[in-house]
Amino acid sequence: MARMKFYCDEGRCIECNGCTVACEEAHELPVGISRRKVVTVNEGIEGEEYSVSVACMHCTDAPCEQVCPVDCFYIRADGIVLHDKEKCIGCGYCLYACPFGAPQFPRDGAFGTRGVMDKCTMCAGGPEETNSPKERELYGQNRIAEGKVPMCAAVCSTNALVVGDAQEVANVYRKRVFSRGKGVVGVPYGWSTAYKG
Amino acid sequence: MYHTAGVQLTKVKGLPMKKFILFLFGTVLINAREFIGKVPLVENARQVHFSGSHLNSPELLHNILYYQNWGELFTYLQVHWFRVLFAAITVTVLIVFVLHYLVIGPKVFSHEGRKFYIFSFFKRVIHWIAALAFVLIVPTGFMMLFGKYLGGGDLVLYARYLHSIGTVIFIVAVIPMFLMWLVPMLPTFDDIKWLFIAGGYLTKKKMEVPAGKFNAGQKMWFWLATLGGFVMILSGAVMYFQDFDIAFVKNIGFDQIDIDRIAAIVHNFLGMAIAALFITHLYMSIFAIKGSLDSMISGYKSEDELKHLHSSFYKKLIGKK
Repeated sequence: MARMKFYCDEGRCIECNGCTVACEEAHELPVGISRRKVVTVNEGIEGEEYSVSVACMHCTDAPCEQVCPVDCFYIRADGIVLHDKEKCIGCGYCLYACPFGAPQFPRDGAFGTRGVMDKCTMCAGGPEETNSPKERELYGQNRIAEGKVPMCAAVCSTNALVVGDAQEVANVYRKRVFSRGKGVVGVPYGWSTAYKG
Repeated sequence: MYHTAGVQLTKVKGLPMKKFILFLFGTVLINAREFIGKVPLVENARQVHFSGSHLNSPELLHNILYYQNWGELFTYLQVHWFRVLFAAITVTVLIVFVLHYLVIGPKVFSHEGRKFYIFSFFKRVIHWIAALAFVLIVPTGFMMLFGKYLGGGDLVLYARYLHSIGTVIFIVAVIPMFLMWLVPMLPTFDDIKWLFIAGGYLTKKKMEVPAGKFNAGQKMWFWLATLGGFVMILSGAVMYFQDFDIAFVKNIGFDQIDIDRIAAIVHNFLGMAIAALFITHLYMSIFAIKGSLDSMISGYKSEDELKHLHSSFYKKLIGKK
């Protein structure tokens, strides 16, 4: 069984924010909601600066799923962490529990209050009928069901962002490390936090 | 390596005790920047060790870097403890009161004869505004806590809205309530005696319980409901607004996400105490002392009740006349 994972090669990411924009546009997200963000560390310091694209890492032991007081999360057999927006009450606990700052909260509740949570679905929609208008409206495109690569990775101009089965991603990563001939490291950024066991 | 206040903070994993030690002693004193080194980034050379470094999207990165400050603790508590403790405390309190009612039974005082005007109209109105707020806040809080058994969705979502609306009502009542009862609620020697005999609730016999206008139990509830209520409002507001930017908070070394997480932890623990004493207050006024509710409706308390339950206050009243 495939285990879907994201991997962002911070040696390749050029902070173009293409993934962020593509995601927002593909899923028609409201202004101010970014399911994927690019962060840059040590900006302007030579040799120390790098960028990495971060969104929901679809953790194995997803803390959001564990803390949710209404149990609106579910983890697909292929490891994608999804949630039911019709169950979610927008309490914000998933954000407190998330190591990656993935959960987003649009202010579309009653009287402009914080509404229900929105996050990266790895372009796999939600619990509604696959590719139905309702699923599209609530969760955005379901590109996985259509056999397409998630939007962010599809548009990545330097192929820094890779998504797919863990084995395939690991192969890509290994090849890159070999061809670079240096920088051999244990696990890619974020994996030690997101994927346990 | 990052050494802070004698505690090595390289990796804190799995051990809740260690986190608690951090929770108690470490974090307030330590500039949060020193925590950045804890996060195992890919390559050692790429660890963020320039304290003056500029972060492009700080809100997201901080969430990652500060996760081990409070994020792990919050997750651990929410997954393993909050629901269990709330349930245990509530069930314990309820069982104790059912047993008390069956074994010792309620106290019945004569409501005939002389009556004393204790609570002015203003005080009663403030009390009932606060009461309305609690009736909205406490059950909806429980609904959110145990939302998964209600199936989530709109029902629990509206409970969350009511929780906020109740808070607005409580804000109206809490300041006048704090000020109007501040003086009679100050602790006295009677309170120590009251605590030693547990307010006389463990015996069937009528006795003159040492208490002023308010007994030690009422005082505990008052301070928890006003000062504790104030903390609940603050921590609730932090969670409600979620996105805010307060320079002071950053200056003392906390990030916005830290404050959110701390607020959730504080709100839950304090909520346990308030829920327990709220149930106690209901039981005492409605079941344990028959007819004591009248005084908060009409403002008059009967002589018999005053003489036994608030003996010091009664003696003062009689002495004056």
